[in-house]
Amino acid sequence: MKHPSLFPELDSRRPDLSRRTFLKALSASSLAAAMSGIPQARAEDDVVQPAAKADCCILLWMAGGMAGPETFDPKAYQPFEKGLPISKILSTFPAINTTLDGVKISQGLEEIAKLMDRATLIRSHVQPDLGTILHSRHQYHWHTGYVPPQTVAAPHIGAWMAKVLGPKNPVMPAFINIGQRLEGIGESEELKAFTTGGFFGTEFGPFNLPYPDEAARSVRPPEGMDAGRFSNRYAFYRKLVDRSPNRAFMSDYQQESMLRALENAHRLLGSKEKDAFDLTLEPKQVLDAYGSGRFGRGCLLARRLAESGARFIEVTTEYVPFVNWDTHENGHDRLVKLKEEIDRPIARLIRDLEERGMLERTLVVIASEFSRDVMMEGAPGSTAKDQAASKSETLELSVHYGLHRHFTGGSSVVMFGGGMKKGHLHGATAEERPLIAIKDPVTIPDLHATIFTAMGISPKTTYDIEKRPFYATKDGLGKAVKTLLT
Amino acid sequence: MKQLSIVIAWLLLVLESPAEVDFAHQIVPILRENCAKCHLDIARKGGLSMNTRELLVKGSEDGEVVKPGDAEHSSLIDLILSDDKTERMPPKGERLTTADVAVLRDWINGGLKWEPGFTFAKDVYEPPLKPRLPELPPAVDGRSHPVDRIIDRYFAKNHITRPAPLADAAFIRRLSLDLTGLLPAPDAITAFVHDADPAKRAKLIDSTLARDQDYAEHWLSFWNDLLRNDYQGTGYIDGGRKQVTKWLYDSLLENKPYDRFARELLDPPDADSQGFIDGIRWRGTVNASQTREVQFSQSISQTFLGLNMKCASCHDSFVDRWKLDDAYGLAAIYSDHPLEIERCDKPTGRMAKPAWIFPEIGQVDAGAARPERLKQLAALMTHPENGRFSRTIVNRLWQRLMGRGIVHPVDSMGTPPWDADLLDFLAVRFVKDGYDLKKSLAFIASSQAYQSESVVTGDPVGEKFFRGPVARKMTAEQFVDAVWTLTGTAPTATAPGLPRKLAASSETLSAQWIWSLADAGAVPAGEKISLATAVDLPAAPTSVRAVFVGDNETEIFLNGQSVAKAINGPVPQTLDFSGLKVGHNTLLAVVKNAGTAPNPAGLILEAKVTFADGKILTISSDPSWKWSRSLPDATGKFDHPPTDWLPAIAISKPAVWAGMTAALPALLNADPTMVRASLVPADLLMRALGRPNREQIVSMRPDNITTLEAIDLANGNLLAGLISRGAKTLVASRKSPEAMVDHVYLQALGRLPGTAEKAGLIEMLGKDPGPRAVEDLLWLVLMLPEFQFVR
Repeated sequence: MKHPSLFPELDSRRPDLSRRTFLKALSASSLAAAMSGIPQARAEDDVVQPAAKADCCILLWMAGGMAGPETFDPKAYQPFEKGLPISKILSTFPAINTTLDGVKISQGLEEIAKLMDRATLIRSHVQPDLGTILHSRHQYHWHTGYVPPQTVAAPHIGAWMAKVLGPKNPVMPAFINIGQRLEGIGESEELKAFTTGGFFGTEFGPFNLPYPDEAARSVRPPEGMDAGRFSNRYAFYRKLVDRSPNRAFMSDYQQESMLRALENAHRLLGSKEKDAFDLTLEPKQVLDAYGSGRFGRGCLLARRLAESGARFIEVTTEYVPFVNWDTHENGHDRLVKLKEEIDRPIARLIRDLEERGMLERTLVVIASEFSRDVMMEGAPGSTAKDQAASKSETLELSVHYGLHRHFTGGSSVVMFGGGMKKGHLHGATAEERPLIAIKDPVTIPDLHATIFTAMGISPKTTYDIEKRPFYATKDGLGKAVKTLLT
Repeated sequence: MKQLSIVIAWLLLVLESPAEVDFAHQIVPILRENCAKCHLDIARKGGLSMNTRELLVKGSEDGEVVKPGDAEHSSLIDLILSDDKTERMPPKGERLTTADVAVLRDWINGGLKWEPGFTFAKDVYEPPLKPRLPELPPAVDGRSHPVDRIIDRYFAKNHITRPAPLADAAFIRRLSLDLTGLLPAPDAITAFVHDADPAKRAKLIDSTLARDQDYAEHWLSFWNDLLRNDYQGTGYIDGGRKQVTKWLYDSLLENKPYDRFARELLDPPDADSQGFIDGIRWRGTVNASQTREVQFSQSISQTFLGLNMKCASCHDSFVDRWKLDDAYGLAAIYSDHPLEIERCDKPTGRMAKPAWIFPEIGQVDAGAARPERLKQLAALMTHPENGRFSRTIVNRLWQRLMGRGIVHPVDSMGTPPWDADLLDFLAVRFVKDGYDLKKSLAFIASSQAYQSESVVTGDPVGEKFFRGPVARKMTAEQFVDAVWTLTGTAPTATAPGLPRKLAASSETLSAQWIWSLADAGAVPAGEKISLATAVDLPAAPTSVRAVFVGDNETEIFLNGQSVAKAINGPVPQTLDFSGLKVGHNTLLAVVKNAGTAPNPAGLILEAKVTFADGKILTISSDPSWKWSRSLPDATGKFDHPPTDWLPAIAISKPAVWAGMTAALPALLNADPTMVRASLVPADLLMRALGRPNREQIVSMRPDNITTLEAIDLANGNLLAGLISRGAKTLVASRKSPEAMVDHVYLQALGRLPGTAEKAGLIEMLGKDPGPRAVEDLLWLVLMLPEFQFVR
């Protein structure tokens, strides 16, 4: 004789037969209601969501501080010359012509130069100087619109799009983050602090794909399990849940959110969209065109995901302290390589989107947390400490040749498609040091407001958290730069 | 010079852009400053109240005052500008500045935007501060527990049906998860269900809480969240933040009275508990509301008083009664320098005065030195008359055990409880019990209210009434601990700095390496022998630890059951001797040498058996064992009892294994309790399951799982890896499919499978389940809502 009370059939509460079919109780409306429980959207009549000009946003993130004068805002070129006072150096690359009349960009970006007639180029993006020029703080600020620390966890702009707009294709995760490892690298905790859905919750957080070539694995059954076994397992799961005598203890809300989440997960993992994550399905010539670098592969992955209906995709060159765009020495040589890494993939991405007729409704943004200068640290007048690892007042070694110090007074942002003007130049920086924005500066709230507006989100959109309003742009004050929008 | 003018030009460009009128930060102060006396809160002179937008638009006895969208035709502006003494507003005192008038004009022209829900009327509810012992209603149906007496009255008043009593098996699972975070052991469940003692539940509550280490390691996560303490993260590397881990762990282990606990955090006796009030020193420039001093104000208010000081850290709160000066008063207690009050990040020119926020029970001496002020603050916080302090913590405990707070959310202690008597009774009782957290938990857990089936509420977000306990999603740590328990895959090391006590490992072994000959340095390759002994136990052991190394492949049988199989060469490892029984036991090891030429072979094994009286019996491999060339079959049985047993021989030169031998004592004496998820830094799985980044205080974890988490659960390699290791162990246990399903269900769900469930799973497993089928079984059970919720 077994122990009766260990058997569910004899428990006091009988299963509620009316609820015994998997997901039967699920309904889109009740789920939506449940999901919007906390935080509460403000029912503000005066926040009118603008008409969307784009359905998808791809952020190409130049992590570590991309020097404007070495990329999209070239200044007087100074070749390497031993003994030269470094104060003479503004740019270490010559400028090249672009398809946009009168606008030159830096050597090494020849492929992008051919597309500048489709671009909106902002040369006057400015960031506040946050004292200690710490990448992760500035990246936090750029990605959330809020200066850290905040008393609540601020959502990433991708999470805002996921929250306000939802997924474009319900099968696809709305917010996908490509190329950034979050474990085992310096400042990883700080990176995690903004690579998040914040107070919106994980539902709106990023789907992280640090290695584009391995992205397919993230939507595949676990290693060693074939697709058949994986789908059988889930089919069996649904039956087992239906057979469980102990389902009545859960509320509809809990039951729905949990079962719905598993259902969504399996729907993606069993969908045709999951192929979008698999770069091996691309022909060799396309793979070659994007190159074998992680960033290039990330751009290709972004294109595939955009085609399959992702809402917001970030592709980063990856932030690792003192690596990639975080050039504290040897800047010139490193930028030669970095530009090689981004030039062809970005150009190819734009062309691919264009050829597919997607560019009109896809907003591509190239941005970085701040610019660099050979002399300044922070903004003019800043008290930030110089973090240059190797510096000299004169050029003696090639290691000194490059833009090595952080600069927040003026940087470049390039945008393509999705409601932005074609062949448009906005703002300017001074031709002589300090290379600050001298015309039409664009702050982070205003840049975000522009991006949000193009995506159909009012910069004043707000959610209540802990009884306080929290806005899409800081205090709802970001203003779209109207002249950039079509 | 040219450069300077460029800078100025740039600054002008940045500053010039006209700002939108901000109701909260621009309009509210103007109205408060100039109109409050006659038109705000309870005042409505001339019939005009400006408490809400509706009332303002409605106007005064004389009619309309403002025309939204049209300042030109709004009499408010005319009256403000009027020089006529009979009509000017405000009638006396300073006139409004031109700038303020411009702002009001813009505001009216902009449509009179108002903060939704905002009113100048004072919140009518102000929670009582002092403790209050309510009178208990009479018991109904013999339900005499004070909690039940209060709740039965509440149910009757609100016409709510009492939830059904919780069955034994479900009770032990819920209690164990709630108090220790761990699943109950299958044996414990069976024993508890069988126990006929009417007092068994009370005894179980006591014995569960007496598991000090399990209790501490579970509640560690709760307190880490609440004190935003972590093992890595922002600030720890550069000294901008300090852990309180060691202090916290020890405090929980000894069940430190909560008043002392709080005092040691607020007025740290030494550096170990300093980290909480020091908060996080952020690198670079931070907003005035995030300086260490203001963090202090916010943190102590939230953690100890369930009170949100974040609004008031920038400006007088719009949602409760707390003012900027209150927030800065607390901050100034902590500050080691004169603290200027900043409003919305702008200096006001006023200096903060150190002040406690409930002066009815006393005040800090603003002129005293910082250490003295902190001491006074700690005393006021834990003052017996500070009922907010005790109410806040008992409400948190109630929420953890019942799913929802008596005041909910738990950090809005300024809002009404659903039953003030219940909250007040628990708080008074807690103080009377010496601020004993465990006693308070035991008190709640011993009520019928707790020992009821969980109820299904229509809407967990907006539910106004208490109907019974609510099922709660397991925390990330509970889930991971449960997976580790089920699969035997817990890590072996905690995060550095945790004071978890590990037994000394200096002891030496009494076991010897044995074989069929003393000179076992040249045993033929592939030689395989049996080594055996018998063990008589005088009583049931309370714990057994056993370790061994076999060169080269070893399988060990205890009473005819395989308990260890090592096929990957000689590796020091533990084995499961929980099958030792009172009386006679047989122990058999089958050891096979490897290689292609003669080489060393041998076995060493030691077990430590502890009895209730503290006595220890050691089982060691030595010449008292016997050996035979006869070999058993795969299940450890001999066709015929061997007749060639000979005494085993201690190997004369065991130095070849010296390194392995040296590793055994530590393994044998290692802390046998599993390393808990709360003791290691968060990995991606735990993060996906809601373990927070502890830069902010977290008092409630998310209560649902999301699609992104589900993808991790469905195909994440971390979980798949644990399941795969667990499956291997289960396969090696050679359980029948029936026994395996029963075992997994009992351990994971605290019950046996139903007929339909079992039939399906057995069919899926097949006759001789391999690792894949068992992996699927484990995954299926781990994904069941019934597993993932504490119900």
